[in-house]
Amino acid sequence: MGYGDVQMIDENGIRVDGRKAGDVRPISIELGVVPVADGSCRMTWGTNEVIVAVYGPMEAHPRKIQRQDRAVLDVRYNMAPFSTSDRIRPGFNRRSREISKVTSDALESVVLLELYPRSKIRVEIEIICAEAGTRCVGLTAASVALADAGIPMTDLVVSVASGKINGVVVCDLNKAEDNYGEADLPMGVLPNSGELAFLQMDGDLSQEEFQEAWDYNMEAAIVIGDYCAEALKNGGYNL
Amino acid sequence: MSIPLVPQLLRSHLVELAENDQRLDGRRQWDGREVQLEIGILGNAEGSAKVRMGDTIVYAGVKFQTMTPYSDRPNQGGLMCSAELRPVAGRKHEPGPPSPESIELGRVVDRGIRESGCIDTEALCIIPGEKAWQVILDLYAISDDGNLFDAFALAGIAALRNAVIPFAKYELGDDRPLDVSKTPIMCSYHRVGGRYVYDASGREELGGDERIHITLGADAHVHSLQKGLKGTFTAGEFAELMEQARIKGDELRDLVHSLEGGN
Repeated sequence: MGYGDVQMIDENGIRVDGRKAGDVRPISIELGVVPVADGSCRMTWGTNEVIVAVYGPMEAHPRKIQRQDRAVLDVRYNMAPFSTSDRIRPGFNRRSREISKVTSDALESVVLLELYPRSKIRVEIEIICAEAGTRCVGLTAASVALADAGIPMTDLVVSVASGKINGVVVCDLNKAEDNYGEADLPMGVLPNSGELAFLQMDGDLSQEEFQEAWDYNMEAAIVIGDYCAEALKNGGYNL
Repeated sequence: MSIPLVPQLLRSHLVELAENDQRLDGRRQWDGREVQLEIGILGNAEGSAKVRMGDTIVYAGVKFQTMTPYSDRPNQGGLMCSAELRPVAGRKHEPGPPSPESIELGRVVDRGIRESGCIDTEALCIIPGEKAWQVILDLYAISDDGNLFDAFALAGIAALRNAVIPFAKYELGDDRPLDVSKTPIMCSYHRVGGRYVYDASGREELGGDERIHITLGADAHVHSLQKGLKGTFTAGEFAELMEQARIKGDELRDLVHSLEGGN
């Protein structure tokens, strides 16, 4: 089957998994899931399952990686070999390196690194089960895990992707929609300030469609930001 | 790996505890931590399990691939077992290529499962000489508070025992459960404070010496042994560990079988 051939939204605007265009998949958040870590978070989002552990702040070594005026953030995004339909060979690849970098860039925008000169904070993002949008789940869960570790931050980063399927703009693409859809717009939003710390896009969107996808992401990020805040206050959300 | 802090203080504390038949967390010599086992939990794996022993947490996932059988075994499939100690699992685990420690872990677990003969590799053959199933067992540590060996071995055999071969995905017919005829169980013992203890915690491993891993089948047949780290032991000590492994192994085997219910 080729792109555009798969019917993924019916005449009533109902998607393959029963959602309407603006609906987000079910989310749950659990804190403290890695007992040996300084902060951790398990996030399920649809059938995505992501575990993030935070270690630090700790001494940065070797010394050449130290920064005199701030901490270094060491972020790794990794997919477990059994997390996808076809097994992934263990180890870094170009995709995971890029996602690690952009995730790190987004988190550096909110973490008050200047409070910890010459130290290091490690953020380990492990994708245990992947459905679609793992970079968004990973980034959101990482910001929650950093907060769980008590690392000072100006805001969370809540990430969600909207896109286009069969010519219709929809929020939070699932696997089929991601595979056969026409566009994907992941964004990382600071829920309190409304600013963005992460942005990617691929596909084909008109200016109007782009604005619609943007608005879906903004609305969803506020709602998901509330889930994250509730999880941080009460130890979890929707468990 | 970072350099452990004040291990000498910890070591002398462990010796004192051992003299009074005590351990850091209040356990007795042969007590294990509480074990939680869940199976069939990962949507994209063909078989899966999660094990929690105290604060040690691991996942095991089974995937299948088709392979060309080796020319000297044209009617056999294969089993591959690999362990990953990702830096997520603890402060001491650094990113980078597989450490000798993680390779040893994967290989010892692999031998226990493989040598028990629980998987009939001839049953994995699809077309002799052309196509066979390769079973890949990936062991994944999320939180390391000691004794990853036993956690991996338990999660591994439990994951294999609920695995389904994805015939349909490869357009080879209907999916079928993987036939796993036995349940080998590994029990690991560390020398801590001068004596052996079962199921050492992370602190006990840090302040301990050599370790011994014993994998037994239901009939107490021995399937794999491994001695790791610096240190020596006596025949008498080993005989006692073997006896303990037999008792504990039966207990854990019952736990695995109890979850399988109607399967």
